[in-house]
Amino acid sequence: MQRHYHPAASFLGKALRYSIVLIVIIALNFLIPRVMPGDPVKNILGEQAYYTAEDVAALSAELGLDKPVYQQFGDYLGGLFSGDWGYSYLYMQPVLEAVGGHLLWTLVLILPAIILGALLAGLAGLVAGYFRKTPLDIGLTSGFMLVYAMPHYWIAMLMLMFFSFNLGWFPMGKVTTGGLSGFAYFADLLWHMALPLLVITLFKAAYDFLIMRNTVISICGEDYILMARAKGLGRGWILFKHILRNSLAPLVTVTAIQFGMLFSGVLLVETVFSWPGMGTLIYEAIGARDYPLIQGAFLIIAVCVLLANMTADLLYRRLDPRTA
Amino acid sequence: MNILKKLTANKLLFFGVVLLGIFVLSAVFAPLISPHDPWTYGQAFLHPSAQHLLGTNDVGQDIFSELVYSARVSLWVGFVSASLATLLGVAVGIWAGFRRGWLDNVLMGMADIFLVIPALPLVILLSVYLGPSIWNIILVIALTLWPGTARVIRSQVITIRQSGYVESARIMGASEFRLMWRHVLPNVLPLVAAKFILAVAVALLLEASMSFLGLGDPSQKSWGMMLHYAFSRGGFVQNLYWWYLPPGLCITLCILGLTFINMSFEDRTDPRLQRILDR
Repeated sequence: MQRHYHPAASFLGKALRYSIVLIVIIALNFLIPRVMPGDPVKNILGEQAYYTAEDVAALSAELGLDKPVYQQFGDYLGGLFSGDWGYSYLYMQPVLEAVGGHLLWTLVLILPAIILGALLAGLAGLVAGYFRKTPLDIGLTSGFMLVYAMPHYWIAMLMLMFFSFNLGWFPMGKVTTGGLSGFAYFADLLWHMALPLLVITLFKAAYDFLIMRNTVISICGEDYILMARAKGLGRGWILFKHILRNSLAPLVTVTAIQFGMLFSGVLLVETVFSWPGMGTLIYEAIGARDYPLIQGAFLIIAVCVLLANMTADLLYRRLDPRTA
Repeated sequence: MNILKKLTANKLLFFGVVLLGIFVLSAVFAPLISPHDPWTYGQAFLHPSAQHLLGTNDVGQDIFSELVYSARVSLWVGFVSASLATLLGVAVGIWAGFRRGWLDNVLMGMADIFLVIPALPLVILLSVYLGPSIWNIILVIALTLWPGTARVIRSQVITIRQSGYVESARIMGASEFRLMWRHVLPNVLPLVAAKFILAVAVALLLEASMSFLGLGDPSQKSWGMMLHYAFSRGGFVQNLYWWYLPPGLCITLCILGLTFINMSFEDRTDPRLQRILDR
């Protein structure tokens, strides 16, 4: 027996759940540098920060490490919400600024990839599921399976090598050539982002495709499809009006669940293309052991993933009224 | 028609086992297969020859031998962290699904929190502090993988606990532990197997990603680590494809093998899917 909640109550429940997740993420970020092995001052400031043995006491007082833990956490929260996320010695600027600038470039890559990937997977999955066991289905399925199995940064390396290095069609990385403005800048940007976007779109599509295909296959067996056929409706009408409509909700959920994974994938692809987003930031921060930067990056990625999940929750109800 | 479909399902399993088997054998018999010691330094950047099948890397180590030995760490990390995650996930899933009530709420709430936190960034954050040791990598990966298994097992257990045989065992006075161990667990095992194989694939990819980012254990060789060096030490820039192609290919084939095995399990564990396939 499923109990029925008032929509407002279920919305409140969701909001509560997401707030708890947010608190846990912040607490993790607070605790990890303080409980991990090693010098906590170093853990908080990063290996790049230079200070002498005499400075340690003064620094830990400044960082509040001698205060009780709850007070430290309070200070930490205060800093977080007032924009003080620590200082990155690698980029010589506050963490929030460094992270913010890089996040923008990651979003430039990830948002179009989500839409293009979902469109590609939606169409391919629809066709493959409907024409199951035909050569078309087998070709599409094996192709996407192969992409699914390849490490995405490796696909990125192969593409870069083939299209940029061997054929010279695309640049070897980075965002722009520089010194351009207006339309020329925009065209140049598109040219630079074509390959990374292609890799991430394919990667996203490979995950979605397998789910979409399964959904379509099971919908094809539903009675209302049989009914539509019996009524003599055309194939196109059935495909787009009945099957596509009903398989959209799972596609959206998958997008939300995989947003975290997609983000992780983008991080690695970016390092290959020297794309100045979060991935390159984290890669450089790891190399320099710039802990505040890594923490800031983790926090902002986790918040983005959280927001994506909430959006999908809201969209899902719109797309599938049966669940509301 | 039905037999033909069963055969294709088995064919999938067969291909998967063969693919994975090649790498397991290479891991087990690495000292016999590899022509050189993969840690011995020699002449750097040699091109492929009869002496060095895939040439040598930036410090003159034989790439083919590295590839063979890497199967050990990659598979070991994959299987051990997947085993840990599966054990924890199954225990939590059965417990939560069987008891229901507040325990279920608390455990699944925890699982949900872990599900939303993106795995790779968390893994990076933890391993940056914990340092590059293979056991740290295994623990961290296991920590991020258990909730997925727990969720799936729990929903299966909820249907099983209401079935007639569990009810009659309960009426006959079976203890709670006996009910879970003897009646619930055997019924979720096929699902556990499918989730385990999937977890191995995810763990293997996570390890490769971490190593590629330079967070791997430098005293060990893995495919991700080989890609890391090929990318950061000039193998990629100089287009030494015999260096950066094979490790990626090995990862791909391993994942493909695991996916095939997983698919052949899933066909059997999901009766709904079976019905669809038979149609």
